[in-house]
Amino acid sequence: MNLHRYTGRTRKDQDLAEEIESHLAHEQDVQAARGAGPEEAQRRARLRFGNPRTVRERVWRYRSLPWLDDVGRDLRFALRSLARTPGFTVVTLLVLAVGIGVNTAVFSVVDAVLLKPLTYPDPQAMMQLVLTARRGHFGGASIPEFALWSRQSGIFEQIAASGFLPEGVNLTGGDQPEQLQALNVTRDYFALFGAPVIAGRTFTAAEDSPHGGRVVVLSYGLWKQRYGGDPRIVGRTIQLDDQPYLVVGVIGKNFVTDTPVDLWVPTQFDRNSHEMVINYTVVGRLRPGVTVSQANAQMRLAAEQYRRAYGEHSLPPGAGFGVVPLQQYLVGDMRFPLIVLLGAVGFVLLIACANVANLLLARASARRRELATRAAIGAGRGQIVRQLLTESLVLALAGGVLGLMLGFFGVRMLIGINPGNIPRISATGPSIALDPRILLFTLAVSVMTGILFGLIPAIAASQPNLAATLNEGSSRSGMSFRQGKVRSILVVSEVALALILVIGAALLIRTFRKLGEVDPGFDTHNVLTLAMSISGERFQTTAAVAQLVREGQDRLDAVPGVVAAGASNCLPLAQGFGMVFDVVGRPKNGPFTGGAGFYSVSSGYFSSLGIPLVRGRLLTERDDASAPGVVVISQEMARLYWPHGDPLKDRIQIGVGAGPAFAEPPRQVIGIVGDTRNRSVDQPPDPMMYIPIAQMPNGETALNSRVAPVFWIVRTRTNPYTVLAPVEAALREASGNLAVAHVRTMDEVEARNIARQRFNMVLLTLFGLSGLLMAATGVYGVMSYSVQQRRQELGIRMALGAQAWNLRNMVVRQGMVLALLGVAVGLGGAFWLTRFLASFLFEVKTWDPVAFVATPLLLFVVALLAVWVPARRATQVDPMTALRLE
Amino acid sequence: MVPKEPPEAGEVLQGTLDMLILRTLVLGAAHGHTIAQAIERTSENALEVEQGSLYPALHRLEDRGWLASEWGVSENNRRAKYYRLTPKGRRELAAATGRWRRMTRAIDLILGSETE
Repeated sequence: MNLHRYTGRTRKDQDLAEEIESHLAHEQDVQAARGAGPEEAQRRARLRFGNPRTVRERVWRYRSLPWLDDVGRDLRFALRSLARTPGFTVVTLLVLAVGIGVNTAVFSVVDAVLLKPLTYPDPQAMMQLVLTARRGHFGGASIPEFALWSRQSGIFEQIAASGFLPEGVNLTGGDQPEQLQALNVTRDYFALFGAPVIAGRTFTAAEDSPHGGRVVVLSYGLWKQRYGGDPRIVGRTIQLDDQPYLVVGVIGKNFVTDTPVDLWVPTQFDRNSHEMVINYTVVGRLRPGVTVSQANAQMRLAAEQYRRAYGEHSLPPGAGFGVVPLQQYLVGDMRFPLIVLLGAVGFVLLIACANVANLLLARASARRRELATRAAIGAGRGQIVRQLLTESLVLALAGGVLGLMLGFFGVRMLIGINPGNIPRISATGPSIALDPRILLFTLAVSVMTGILFGLIPAIAASQPNLAATLNEGSSRSGMSFRQGKVRSILVVSEVALALILVIGAALLIRTFRKLGEVDPGFDTHNVLTLAMSISGERFQTTAAVAQLVREGQDRLDAVPGVVAAGASNCLPLAQGFGMVFDVVGRPKNGPFTGGAGFYSVSSGYFSSLGIPLVRGRLLTERDDASAPGVVVISQEMARLYWPHGDPLKDRIQIGVGAGPAFAEPPRQVIGIVGDTRNRSVDQPPDPMMYIPIAQMPNGETALNSRVAPVFWIVRTRTNPYTVLAPVEAALREASGNLAVAHVRTMDEVEARNIARQRFNMVLLTLFGLSGLLMAATGVYGVMSYSVQQRRQELGIRMALGAQAWNLRNMVVRQGMVLALLGVAVGLGGAFWLTRFLASFLFEVKTWDPVAFVATPLLLFVVALLAVWVPARRATQVDPMTALRLE
Repeated sequence: MVPKEPPEAGEVLQGTLDMLILRTLVLGAAHGHTIAQAIERTSENALEVEQGSLYPALHRLEDRGWLASEWGVSENNRRAKYYRLTPKGRRELAAATGRWRRMTRAIDLILGSETE
């Protein structure tokens, strides 16, 4: 095809015009030669030539692509006609932008978390090895379990264990110690996850064995920031907790871990160990051709083998081993909330579509005469439909572009209010970028929206009843019955959808408020918490840790502005350890009396958190290693295990059968303190045992120090951050220059705790508000259009003696009937749909009466406001003008 | 809103017109008016078309690369656009003439030629 045919059309046309002039001149010469006068010659020449304009048009059209021209014309026309009604255009664009924007934002998150495959090679074959129980699965493993699983080579090609979470270590040897996140991994970890090694190597089998030496692999980030990307780092030693570690390799930039990791060290455990402590998480890669169900069958057999080897009680009753695809495991319980959010956001888009359809419908009926005129002068039905569709597609695409921009900020906002525990997205947001799929999604949504809402008005407007339309006076033609019905249905559905969204939002707002009202059992205000990693050799004994805690507490107490200070191995509201115990002298009906939360704390723990003493006494400095063993318990523990007796008269034996590290003599119960919510705000208080740090068994301290930091808890007189610097200085002195990390106030810990609920609430509230606003626009649009169309009728009514309030009430009644219908439909829908929110709610029923009464009322008021304006306009119709209009 | 395009005048004869133009130009470059007159003469006014309808054909042929054009001065001392045959156009003429001959033969055979 000759493309040059389509280029320079205007220039060529000019050329042709000159050519025609020349032709006419020549023909004139011929005619003149035959004896015609100049005027006659000119006339004859023109006659013989025909119409120059037709010739030019024919050449012009021949040089064009007809459809492209038509599209261009339709586009220009659409833009012109949209520009003529800026109000309509702006409202429509905004509605669309919001609808598409929130969709893009939420889809981006869903895409990043649920849809995008993991960045490891052949991610489908990667499995998390789990303990299966009646309720769900648990992704932790002990060394004997890992050893047994490693031998299932029929199903696994590769298998590797790593620490549950990175552990804090102190990078020493510089001016200031720096706390880093170190992950223990077995030697196959890097190969399994396909980690790119950019310098050196990963761990050898010898290095990942007991006494394999101190070696470390650095992350790209640490290597760049701390060592300036020096390639000679491999082979050098760095100081971790004052011990020299040989750097054997560096991992490349694109390696993504579930939680940020600065460096890796080998686990170096003995694979023949019988230690049952669950310290690891295990991932395996299935052999090619092995299915998940085959792997699960094999793992069930492995569980039987494990029971035979380690005794019937080595696994909980009914429990076994199994595999879960890694991606599914990582996404975990975030899957359902995200799908619910996606559903809710779909509602927003539906409302937006209905709204825009409504606006376009109103516009189309206002333009009926225009369209009919065009049809009368020869426009086919198809052409009119095409024209209207072009308009709506232009709107939809422009809305899509705006929406995309909005969505872009929306994603940033979502990450901003991300509770921090949505898997697979990090605060810096590298995993949520604008990717072609999201662009495609937005484009598809906009085009589909365009066709969807363009089609209804287009069909409605192109009804072939020309004469009737043309004969009708424009102002006399009210909404035709069918169109009126379509528009009413649209408005009713908008109101219904909006009501469902707002009820959902109301339920979540109520939930969040209930959570805020929960008393965690201690005073969260003006409390600073700091974490100090004590993973080094220095703190393998109880005496050393007790010394550190006593020293620290003394120095903190001396800081001006500090009211009380304490230390513990766990923070309330942030999970903790649990332990079994026996009541000494009590006959038992199982292997032990019961289980309870287990915190090792300093004497200042209770006063710094403001946990009240109920009976007995609190721990003091004198409850040290030389004194008899004591324990303080919580009210819940007393209630559960001493329903009739007095716990203060009893001694308990903690950690029976948990292994030699936990062996200790019985402890006297000396006090009962108030309950605290230690797991999370929405979980009821667990039974609790508090043991003095100074009285911990040595073996347990050593285990503890390796995996958990010491938390310092400082109650201050005013804003805790004002004393942060002296507090940090005091702790550095007390610890011999150890770093502190995770500095947070207890209020922040609490806020983090309910961050996910806040995330859900903020989102659904935004959805609800935008839905409400759009529904109000819809009601307003329909009613004001109806008033405008019925001006004449209203004028006649007024001329015949109707009072202003008559007319106003008539309009209000009609509008409110629509709104009420919508509310009724929406209530039904909400009753059915809120069940999907059940898992989001806390102390709020899915049919919460407050939400189900307040929300319809709110909608009613909003609808009334939206109807009121057009209703007032109805009363301002001047009968004379209205009558004279035609 | 374009009204349906009427078929180009004498569309059936378009191929014929093209051929006539090409044949006229075999003798040398000519401008539009000369070509129109030549065609009127050779076809003995059998093609009752307006002179103007020549131009879409000229431009189409030029776009196809069969003709080339440039502005010049005519025998009447007026500005005029001269068309000449390109090698490609010459080849096309040969082919078209062949086709035309075959077709007229076929028509002759069916209708029975009066000249025979």
